[in-house]
Amino acid sequence: MARVGVFVCFCGANIADFVDVPAVTEEAKKIKEVKYAIEYKYMCSDPGQQMIRDAIVQHRLTSVVVAACSPRMHEKTFRKALSDAGMNPYLLEVANIREHSSWVHQKDKKAATEKASDLIRMAVAKSIANEQLHEISVPVTKRALVIGGGIAGIQAALDIADARIPVVLVEKSPSIGGRMAQLDETFPTLDCSQCILTPKMVDVASHPFIELLPYSEVMELDGYVGNYKAKIKRKASYVNFDTCTGCGACWQKCPVKVPNEFNMGIDKRKAIYSPFPQAVPNKPVIDAEHCTMLLKGKCGICAKVCEKGSIDYTMQDEIVEREIGAVVVATGYDLWDPSPYEEYGVGRYKDIITSLEFERMVSANGPTGGVPVRPSDGKVPKRVVFIKCVGSRDEAKGIEYCSKICCMYTAKHAILLHHKVHDSHAYIFYMDIRAAGKGYEEFVKRAQVETGATYLRGRVSKIYKKGENLMVRGEDAQLGQVVEVEADLVVLATAIYPYKDNPDLARLLGISYDKYGYLSEAHPKLRPVETAKAGIYLAGCTQAPKDIPDTVAQASAAAAKVCGLFAGDTLKKDPMISTVNTEFCTGCQNCVTVCPYQAIVTEEIPLGHGSKEMRIVAKVNEGVCQGCGSCVAICRSMAIDLAGFTDMQIINEIVSI
Amino acid sequence: MDYTKQIQDIAGRLFSEGKIDIFIGYRNTGFDENQVPVLIHQYKDVDQLLFTDKSVFNLANYLKYEHTRNKRVGLIVKGCDSRALNLMLTESQVKRENLYIIGIACEGVVNETGEKAQNCVECMMPDAVVYDELLGSATGKREYQVNADIRELDEKTLTDRVEYFEEIFENCIRCNACRHSCPLCYCAKCCIDQETATLFHGANTTSSAFHALMTWSLHLAGRCVDCRNCEKACPIHLPLHLLHKLNEKVIYENFQEHLAGMTEGDRGAFYKYSLSDPDDFIL
Amino acid sequence: MEAEIKEKIVSMEKPHMEAPPDWQPVIMGILCNWCSYAGSDLTGTSRIQYPPNIRIIRVPCSSRVDPWFIIKSLQTIADGVLISGCHPGDCHYISGNYYARRRFLVTKKLLNFVGFHENRVQFSWVSAAEGAKFAKVVTKVTEDIRKLGPLHLYKKENS
Repeated sequence: MARVGVFVCFCGANIADFVDVPAVTEEAKKIKEVKYAIEYKYMCSDPGQQMIRDAIVQHRLTSVVVAACSPRMHEKTFRKALSDAGMNPYLLEVANIREHSSWVHQKDKKAATEKASDLIRMAVAKSIANEQLHEISVPVTKRALVIGGGIAGIQAALDIADARIPVVLVEKSPSIGGRMAQLDETFPTLDCSQCILTPKMVDVASHPFIELLPYSEVMELDGYVGNYKAKIKRKASYVNFDTCTGCGACWQKCPVKVPNEFNMGIDKRKAIYSPFPQAVPNKPVIDAEHCTMLLKGKCGICAKVCEKGSIDYTMQDEIVEREIGAVVVATGYDLWDPSPYEEYGVGRYKDIITSLEFERMVSANGPTGGVPVRPSDGKVPKRVVFIKCVGSRDEAKGIEYCSKICCMYTAKHAILLHHKVHDSHAYIFYMDIRAAGKGYEEFVKRAQVETGATYLRGRVSKIYKKGENLMVRGEDAQLGQVVEVEADLVVLATAIYPYKDNPDLARLLGISYDKYGYLSEAHPKLRPVETAKAGIYLAGCTQAPKDIPDTVAQASAAAAKVCGLFAGDTLKKDPMISTVNTEFCTGCQNCVTVCPYQAIVTEEIPLGHGSKEMRIVAKVNEGVCQGCGSCVAICRSMAIDLAGFTDMQIINEIVSI
Repeated sequence: MDYTKQIQDIAGRLFSEGKIDIFIGYRNTGFDENQVPVLIHQYKDVDQLLFTDKSVFNLANYLKYEHTRNKRVGLIVKGCDSRALNLMLTESQVKRENLYIIGIACEGVVNETGEKAQNCVECMMPDAVVYDELLGSATGKREYQVNADIRELDEKTLTDRVEYFEEIFENCIRCNACRHSCPLCYCAKCCIDQETATLFHGANTTSSAFHALMTWSLHLAGRCVDCRNCEKACPIHLPLHLLHKLNEKVIYENFQEHLAGMTEGDRGAFYKYSLSDPDDFIL
Repeated sequence: MEAEIKEKIVSMEKPHMEAPPDWQPVIMGILCNWCSYAGSDLTGTSRIQYPPNIRIIRVPCSSRVDPWFIIKSLQTIADGVLISGCHPGDCHYISGNYYARRRFLVTKKLLNFVGFHENRVQFSWVSAAEGAKFAKVVTKVTEDIRKLGPLHLYKKENS
């Protein structure tokens, strides 16, 4: 026999001014199953909660209804009051008579009061069907997988490893470092990027808790939070890292030349190569797509000159498996291809380059000795035009969003140009200047004042050749005029964009991505490092464009989430999940098909009591189920139900009014 | 359309080679021109079997029951029957290796008056889609067409349709013959009979019939093959196909899917989605 | 004093049945927790007013909504039903609302076919930020149902 207690809150004047609370309490007492009903000024306060705790004991209540603000506010609070009184916390229901009545029906007290009574009736009826639920414990493997070895992945790996949790760091290219290794100096401090990055890279390589898997890719991720299994392909490097000393004799002698990805194709590397001098690990790999020995069986010079005999042409790709509890995805950004801007002569004129190419040129370890040069004739440019927003903020040709970093790095480029070529002049075509970070506005000001760079507010409509140079025609909106600038070199601040295979990775991991391919966070404001899938976190530009400080912050945040996840010996999980009634289940597996998390599998059970024949039924994986109820609505046999929102609870609500 | 000889030969061969335990086919009632399903267990009964345009019932229905479970079964399926069978295979209700399927490239069956049945006139896929051997020559898929009764009812006003359907729901006696005769209604305990349906207690009322028939037709939406077993079984001769054909039309017009069960693995429209499904009916 | 001439409200599906003079429509609302319920809470915190005829049931996802919720609501107290979930692509549970969307359309069309006016059952996508939209949706649906009059089809006897 149900014994329901109803606790109606005045919520100060919030509810009381528009709903006749005493009348509502009296109405509640008339419900057959309600054995106790009382009102109070602030139910969520200590005395209010005490009233609930006392009533549970004194009136031997079997469920509790609190009529107050939205359950999204205080459901947890009142659940705790129940468990403090020794009652299962899931025997609580909240009737939302504030957000759903008093606040929205202020002109009709009678109707608001009637509605409040109805909402209580519904909550009482639902609570009668509430079941005692217990938090579920799932085991947890305390090892993290970090995908991506740029600054985001490096920071996350270091933070997790410093908490004495083992980390597997997987990086696609032969070395960690990512985009930051390609930068010369970073805004707003003009720190030498390599100088602040390489110590972290060395830390990663020597950290006792980090297993670094360079030149590797994640192929599969199975399982659920705390219990993932990752399959990682270690690509064949054809170099024995244990014996190789990184002396460089091999790549000096290699006859094959390939466009150098690290330098954005400006110069060439060899088929056996290390991406950059400070690479970690500092061991070369052989690019199997260009090595003459691997392709045709001829050459073999690197093996001949290697004193240590570290070259092994017979190496194969290797698949390794790791048991993982959580994943941090930090795969970074690519540059958007500016080809649609045909009017800028992209691809037609050699002296039009992207910002990353410019960055490589001004880098000390770059292909042009740290000085920008014109690709056409190798001369040092004196008049450089920088065009911002190439692709960004362009619904027609490009993408809608702002790439966030280009205003700052263009100002930086103006400063670096000035440092490297003292008699140069920079012209910057811009729409806006976005310098919102700490020290950012000051930095842009510095760029303008120190270098005398000309900032022209307006878009560029056309670039065409004039003799050896380029004419850049754009608008100076502040003067209301068309301007033409004769440039030796044009640098396009192209939009940044997710890597083309980001969606593939997302699907492999079972997380969502947006229309551009950026991986989706769980909530844009309040949960920026989690994804909708428990145990998978995001860091860096793979989630959205951002600069280095925000990337590092997000990486540390993701690391904190991982540490929190691993804090106990088991993981506690919300028990509002689905369970299968095997008596009714026909084994049709429609639930398996619709589950967004692949949380339902099949099992074989005896056909009947003591039967030797078996039949298939569905089985819900407690650890994975997120409690959406898709399976419940899809099941024709009503053989699966969702705790906390069972069919019985909902039918009770419907028929109660 | 007469494959009596072939059916008898095949069934005979299957029994004499010990390949099956049961053969599901058709036999004459013995007292009129009509045929009824028959389950044969031995070679000597094979001469009862026949197959003509009066072989109307969907025999896949018999795969639901205890007496065929885990036995090796031979059966005959026409176009529509075979699609129901494919759905049963997809939904793990029967194992393919237990079946010997004789598919028919059907030319249509007749109703009691001897006229070609409406669902055969409008048939969009007469050929069996799953079989171990096929009798007859396949003619392939035909263009989608809207059921003639649906077209007529669509012209009627709302209040006319209210009256029309009220009579149908009023006359339903909740005998559940429709569920029992449908091969795709195999749930051990029908949801309509479960505790949460206690509103209606299986009572023989108009509101109870409305609830039952609405739920039933929605559970068959995207799966019904239009074999009309349900209508043939209904003692009141309710035009049950109206509900199923309406769902089929809505699904075809909005999700571009019809002909459930064409391939094994295809579960039907409700178990899939498309990012471009119609959205304009949603505020 | 002139008496107010109120237009007689009749039941749209059964025009011979008149609504009593003080009749108020009852709308059963089923909202998904992460978007629409949160949006309806925002309507409250923003103090945006809407008609008091709706009674809200919370579900975790619009995909939890089984057609029988709609049928049972219509057969008991409700004159109309409103189901609301996350916008396509934003479902908290990734794909729930895509499956729900298909079920919703077929259920609506089937009910209309057997005689329910198409405005009796309505659907909306309301995100957690769309407090104003929720109020607009409820207002529209309430007014639609008010014009349709009380529902008298297949009500459970003695309900």
